This record gives sequence, structure tokens and C-alpha cells, in this order.
Amino acid sequence: MTDSERKGAVLPAAKEPGDAVLDFLRLAITKKLADAVILPMKVPSGDSYAWILMNDISLLDDAVPIAATMPVQGAKALRSLTRKGPGNLTVIAVMRPCEIRAAIELSKLGQVHPDNLILATYDCPGAVQLQKYVDDPAGSEKRFAEMLQKGKPDNSAKPVCHICEDFSLFDSDLHFGYLGLPDKEMLVIAGSDKGLELLEELGLASAEDLSVWEKGIDQLKADRIKARKSAFKETEAQLRGFDGLLSVFANCIGCHNCQSACPICYCRLCYFDSETAEQNPDALITAASKRGGISLPVDRIMFHTGRMVHMSLSCVSCGQCSDACPVSIPVAGAFSYVADQTQRTFEYTAGRNDGDPLPLRQFRKSELPGVHELVKDADAEVSSHE
Amino acid sequence: MKKEFTPRITSFLCKWCSYTGADLAGTARLQYPTSIIPIQVMCSSRVDPVFLIKAFLNGSDGVLIGGCHPGDCHYETGNYHARRRFAIVRSVFESLGLESERLKLSWISASEGPKFARVANEYTEEIMKLGENPTRKSIFL
Amino acid sequence: MSSITIDTRASRKVRELLKFLLENGKIDAALTMRRIPENNSYDLALITDASNINEAVPLIPVMTVNAGQVLSSISTSGKKIAVVLKPCELRAFVELVKRERGSFENLLTISHTCGGVFPLDLVEKGQIEELIPKYEKTISKGEIPVNTRDTCRACEHFIPMNADITVSVAGECESEKGCMMYLNTEKAEEFAEGFAGERSEQKFDPSVLQKTLNARLAEKEKLFASMTASGPGLDQLVDTFGKCVGCHGSNSVCPICYCLLCDFESANFDYNLPYFEEHLSRRGALRLPPDTIFFHLGRLTHMSFSCVGCGMCSDVCPVGIPVAAVFKKTGEKTAALFDYVPGRDAEESIPVMVYKEEEFSDIG
Ligand code: SF4
Ligand code: SF4
Ligand code: SF4
Ligand code: SF4
Ligand code: SF4
Ligand code: FES
Repeated sequence: MTDSERKGAVLPAAKEPGDAVLDFLRLAITKKLADAVILPMKVPSGDSYAWILMNDISLLDDAVPIAATMPVQGAKALRSLTRKGPGNLTVIAVMRPCEIRAAIELSKLGQVHPDNLILATYDCPGAVQLQKYVDDPAGSEKRFAEMLQKGKPDNSAKPVCHICEDFSLFDSDLHFGYLGLPDKEMLVIAGSDKGLELLEELGLASAEDLSVWEKGIDQLKADRIKARKSAFKETEAQLRGFDGLLSVFANCIGCHNCQSACPICYCRLCYFDSETAEQNPDALITAASKRGGISLPVDRIMFHTGRMVHMSLSCVSCGQCSDACPVSIPVAGAFSYVADQTQRTFEYTAGRNDGDPLPLRQFRKSELPGVHELVKDADAEVSSHE
Repeated sequence: MKKEFTPRITSFLCKWCSYTGADLAGTARLQYPTSIIPIQVMCSSRVDPVFLIKAFLNGSDGVLIGGCHPGDCHYETGNYHARRRFAIVRSVFESLGLESERLKLSWISASEGPKFARVANEYTEEIMKLGENPTRKSIFL
Repeated sequence: MSSITIDTRASRKVRELLKFLLENGKIDAALTMRRIPENNSYDLALITDASNINEAVPLIPVMTVNAGQVLSSISTSGKKIAVVLKPCELRAFVELVKRERGSFENLLTISHTCGGVFPLDLVEKGQIEELIPKYEKTISKGEIPVNTRDTCRACEHFIPMNADITVSVAGECESEKGCMMYLNTEKAEEFAEGFAGERSEQKFDPSVLQKTLNARLAEKEKLFASMTASGPGLDQLVDTFGKCVGCHGSNSVCPICYCLLCDFESANFDYNLPYFEEHLSRRGALRLPPDTIFFHLGRLTHMSFSCVGCGMCSDVCPVGIPVAAVFKKTGEKTAALFDYVPGRDAEESIPVMVYKEEEFSDIG
């Protein structure tokens, strides 16, 4: 759907942006336009959230559509539900933009079947880092409320949120817009025919003027784009060369938490955990002998670079990898930077619902002229070393 | 008015003994409650401990394993292994304070129709006393 | 078997031993912790060149991975390797050997009385070097350093159970006779032949560590009691594991969970939509992805009797769930059913592989 076709409606005012979303969902369920919804709910211990699929309308009272933190990437929830096929339930999922983008990537990979899903996003101010949230839920809620007010991440937010340009309307079926609007105002905007249909059936399809909101978002976006440029410059300097890579990942213990928290890395048995990638004991000793010693477990850098090659074209920069890392390695910073490069190479943007196939699923006979150059350069480098 | 509580007892019954025992109870027209939901397995040792846990978390009010008496297993030693595994699951439940009474293992041979009926009745009564499994209500599992 | 008196710098003596073994061709490689000064970090390393041994910090109270787990992928190389392991790493490896995931044949195992290790977040903050002096003082007095892993503070198996060589660090070092290195086996005598040091016939006497043991047992009781704070049962379980994000980091770093593809990540527990519909109609709601509690309960039945309480699982949990404490507590109970102590003896079978005809008379 192009910008000019976008239609939206003003929702009845509610106390908090989240409440307006809940009212909307209640209406959709009551009118039988959806069978169930997926929303975050506080876990009983009160220090985190979990995704809950619910059709019991009374449970909506305890749901928090716009949650302060993002423990499990929403695309993983959608994948667990629809991996084996779309089924007959119409389900509205309200998730952060990066979660929906991941879901769109997963649908291209055959891991999410979105046919009966209505994917809804909202203007995302950023998400509080998981460990910070768990350590101080009350304080984090307060900080998040401020983030919502200002529409900007603060320093408790994940570093990638500061550089996220796609924090508002992207390619979801529905989008809730409120950042940059006067207090308590909330728009619901259709991003697809499916979304439009739902709004029409709810009697919410009036073509509101979206320009105030769009202007507000553009302003917020400008900040993030600026931050993105300078962050990438920094990351580039840190990552430069093998030593750079080594020092960024120096503390890595090889737990692969980053991979298992990643929504894109859906492989049941990751290549880097498989027998194929396993070194036999003799080879290990030989490798150690060549260098006088070797760090264990082996292949940690191989794992990270390999993962970059496998999935960076679909990386949505959600930051879940960093949140899951037990030794606070800025995994997402590195992956986000690399993803920016690889996606640029193919003029591809992960998470866009525009029918663009995955870059590695297609090729053009004449493309990527630079690659040959690179190969030549590499040859030259090798020969100069000889 | 309080709704009558009908327990659901997922029952893994060995084909060679307990399942046949249950059949016998049926053909002899011995009364046993509808709470028993029988699932035929080839041997009590086929019951992965994880089945018990899954049934429990999915809201079964009781989970029953029926196997051949020690020494009579069709595969000779399957039930001895089943017993050890059962002991482990029960111990895990106990140390976490979960109701281990909701798990039961019973030796019932192919000819013990009456024993099957008795175990089914007694266990159902026991579960009735315990009430509904709290996992039925929890949405955070 | 004999023993060697070493001075208070036990670490240096172990390094010298490794160097001696490498230089004299008695081993092909040494597995030990190593310090990486440029990053102020540590890793586990397989060192083959004697000149690199200076980087080794064999006794550093840091565990980046459970070395028993790593050892399982190199022990069968046919090459002779000296390995420096913490007691729980050695026990983990024993458990893996029972599962045919390794062999002692070509290994010389060196372990030590253990004061516990620091959690990884202190390692990551680069604080270890400054913490060590106080740490050493505390353990030499038979007390427990406060900032070590919770399961270390509660660990009563801090004396290696079956190492070829035991280095006494905790308790003895500050005493007049200094640290000792005990050669427990023929193999140890053979390897250490020619290694310099004052020999005696003294055997390791665990009673010198009675004070430490008492302190640890008391700490364990406290830890276990704290875990039922909101009462036992389903609510407590959901309170503890409800915030699990399902990364399964706890099993990937667990030395006992060796399965290439864990059952709980397998297609066995993929569900199609009717499964979810059924839950919706019965409960009105369910969590996505499902099976959070299921995973932990399942893992507990799969391996808790072999849990060595190393604490790796807690350390990698992104939301700070005390996984190791739960597994240690539950594991002690499941192991006790079979008079089993994980890591005690590589010749013992794991409880689920064997049975007795007469046992558990209350079941059935
Ligand atoms: S990366 Fe951060 S700001 Fe962007 S959509 Fe995700 S949570 Fe929101
Ligand atoms: S790193 Fe590659 S093989 Fe591993 S899970 Fe990700 S995409 Fe799959
Ligand atoms: S989560 Fe962190 S420690 Fe674990 S593999 Fe990834 S970068 Fe390494
Ligand atoms: S939980 Fe069970 S199946 Fe999974 S890795 Fe551990 S032992 Fe293997
Ligand atoms: S369960 Fe945790 S504490 Fe126990 S052996 Fe595994 S990693 Fe170590
Ligand atoms: S065949 Fe009946 S228990 Fe094994």
C-alpha cells in the first residue's frame, strides 16, 4: 500500500495509548471479526512479560499491548502458532514493528503462515533492555512511560532502538499511531487490504488526514537516522579487521544464546551446532599444534561470521541477541551494521511486505559488478603477501 | 450450583497386560469410571517420563501407567526401567512441591480385570479428593 | 602415592608442572584456563607449546565453559593431554564418560580443592584480578567468598573425587606447610617423575577442610530454603520459571545435556493449530511459544540426577532465573533415590540404564 492510499481513523480517547488498543481489540472480538488476539501479559512474578494467545475477553484487562520490554521476539510466538500451516483462527497480533518485520521475513522463509493473522504494530519509542527490566521492573516502567511521552528511547533502551528508523508504520496490516500527536489521540491506520477490510467492518475506515502524525514521525525519524550513521561509523571502526572482530567477541563463551534468541535463525539444529561443523579431536589437536595453542570451544568467530552470512540479509535489528548474551557482547550492534551493508548490496530491506523475494532466492544474470572487482582486489592482496 | 467435577485420568496401558485387563473388565461388565482415558502402549517402558509431564501440564487430573507385573514384562525388563523412570518423575514432582499423587503406576496383568476396575475406581476417588488439576487454569505454563 | 610440597603460589607450581610435562614430551597438550591480558578476559585453552604456558592461569576461579563439556570433544584424540579441571568439571566429565562421550585413557587429570568461581558478569566487567587477593584469603580461612556463584557457595563436593593429581588450595595454603600437590594414582607418579619438588608420603586429609564443608552445608540449606519462598507447588514453579525466554541457553551450556538436538527443540513438540484451538477453548488463553515449564520439568527428569551443580546454567540465563539452584536441589533428591553421586565413579552406570529387581516396593 503506498503512502497516498493509506487510510486511518481516530480511535476514541483512552487513558493510555495501550488502552485505546485494547478497546479496539475488544470491539473486534465482540463483533466476531477476530477469534483471538496475541498480546503481552505480565508474568506472575511481575518482572517480565510473556506472549499470551487469548480469546477470553476478560483477560484483555490484564494485557499490556505496548509493553516496556521485549522478552521473546514476537515473531517467534507467531512462528510457534503457524509454523505448520495457517489454520482457521483469525488472530490479531499486536507487536513492535521489528517483531512484525521479523514475522514477514519468516513468512518468506516458510516459517510463519500469515494468511489468517492480522499483524498490527504501533509507534515504538524503543524497548527497555531485558536485564535492566528484570532488575528493576518498577523503575523501568517509569522510564518507559517517559519514553512513550517523548517518543524517544532513553539509555535504558536497547542500543539498536536508538538507531531504528523503522519504528513506525511499515508493512503491517494495521498500525496504531500516536507519537507526535496531541496527548491521548490515537490513529488506527490500515497497511494492507486485510487491514482495510477489518477497519471497514468496524466502521472505522474514515479517511483521516494523517499529515500531522506523519510529520511528527518524520521528525523523530530524523534523529534516529542521525544516530544510526554515527553508531555505524563507530561499529565499523571497532569491527575493522580480524583483531577488531576478535576484540568485540573476546568474552564470547560460545553459548549460542544470541542465535537462539534471534527470530530469523529458525533452524531447528543450527549448522554450527551440528555434526557437520564439529571438528574431530585429531584435527583440533593439529590445529592447536600449528599455533602453539587454541582457544576453546573452537570456532566462535566462525560461528558469528557464519551466522552473519546466513541471516544478515533478513536481520531486522531487533536487538534480541544482545539482550540474551550473558556476557554483554554488543552482538546486535555488529549484526545491525553488517546487515545494513549486506541488505544495501541487494537493495533489499528486511521485513518489507512488498513481494520482494529473499535476495538469495533469485539472481540476475548481470548484477553485482563490484564483486568481481573485490575478488580481483583480494587476489592482489593475496599475491602481495606471497 | 457447583458443576460436578469429572476428573480426566490419562492412562497409558501396556498392550500385553493392563490394556487387556481393562478389556476384560469391560467384557465382564465390571463398573469402572469414565474418567479413565486409555491409551495403548506396547510396554510400560514406552512411556517417556515426558509424556507424564505433558499430560499433567495439559490439565490431566491424574496420569496412570499400567504395566505387567515385575518379571512378566513381554520384553523382559521394560517395566523395571519404567519403574525407575517413574520414581524419577515422582521425585522431581515431590521436590518441587507439585502434587505427585496425580501420578500413578500400577501393575495389572491381562487376567486381572477386577484389579483394573478396582484401581480405576480407587484412583478416581483419590483424584476426586484432590480436585481439579491447577494446571487446567494456568496460562503461563 | 606421594605428595609434593609447593609454596603458596600453587598456580605457579601447576604451570611449572604443565611446562615440565610438555617440555619432556610426556604430554602433547595441556587444557587449562588462560588469561588474555589485552582484553582483560579469560578463556579455556588447549596449549601445545611449552613456551605458551606462561599465559596459563590454571587455578583461576573463573569458568567460561564447563571444561568437562569441552573435554568430551577432545579426549578421544589419541594424544596425551593433561587437563586442569575444577572438581565439578571433572565430575561432569565422569558423567559424560558414562555416556560414552569421552575417555580417561589418554588424560592426566589435575584438579584442586575449589573455593568456587565468580559469575560471568564479574568476569565480563574485568573485576577478577582485583577480587582474587580477598578471595584467596577468605578460602584459606575456610570461609566462603560472598560474590561467587550461589551453587558454588552451596557446593559440598569441592574436593576432587577422582583426579590423578589433587592440588590443595582451599584451606591448606596459608598453613605452615604451604600448598600441597598430591599424586593420587600410578599414572600421576609416572607423569610427575622427574618433576622438581620436595616429596613426602603424605596423603590428602579432607578433615583440614571440615570448616569449609560445614560452612558450605549451611549455605546449601539456606539456598534451598530460599527457593520455596512463595510456597512450594505450581505457583512457585511458575513464579520461578515464568519469565523464561526459551533461549535454552541453560541446556546448551550444561555439560550433562549433551544431545545434539534436544528433545524439546525437536519436531516432537511442534504443534498444529488444532492444539492451540483446543487450549483456547479449555483455558481461554495460553502462552506462546508454548511449553516453557514443560521444558524445565522435562530437563529435570532427563538429567537432574547427573547435575554436578556447576552453575553454568544460571550464569547464562538472560533473565536471572536460579536454574542451577533448582537443578542441584532437585538433582540431589533424584540421585539419592539410587544412592547415586554424579561424578563419583566412571565405572558406575547412570541410574536409568540399570535397575534392581527389588526396589521401590511402594510403586506398582
Ligand atoms: S528496534 Fe527498538 S525501536 Fe525499533 S521497532 Fe524494535 S524495539 Fe522498537
Ligand atoms: S546461524 Fe545459520 S544455521 Fe544457525 S540457526 Fe542461524 S541461519 Fe540457521
Ligand atoms: S550470546 Fe554472547 S556469549 Fe553466547 S554465543 Fe552469542 S555472543 Fe557468544
Ligand atoms: S533436556 Fe534432555 S533431550 Fe534436551 S539436551 Fe538435556 S538431556 Fe538432552
Ligand atoms: S544443570 Fe546447571 S548446574 Fe547442573 S550440571 Fe547442568 S549446567 Fe551445571
Ligand atoms: S510389556 Fe507390559 S510392561 Fe513391558
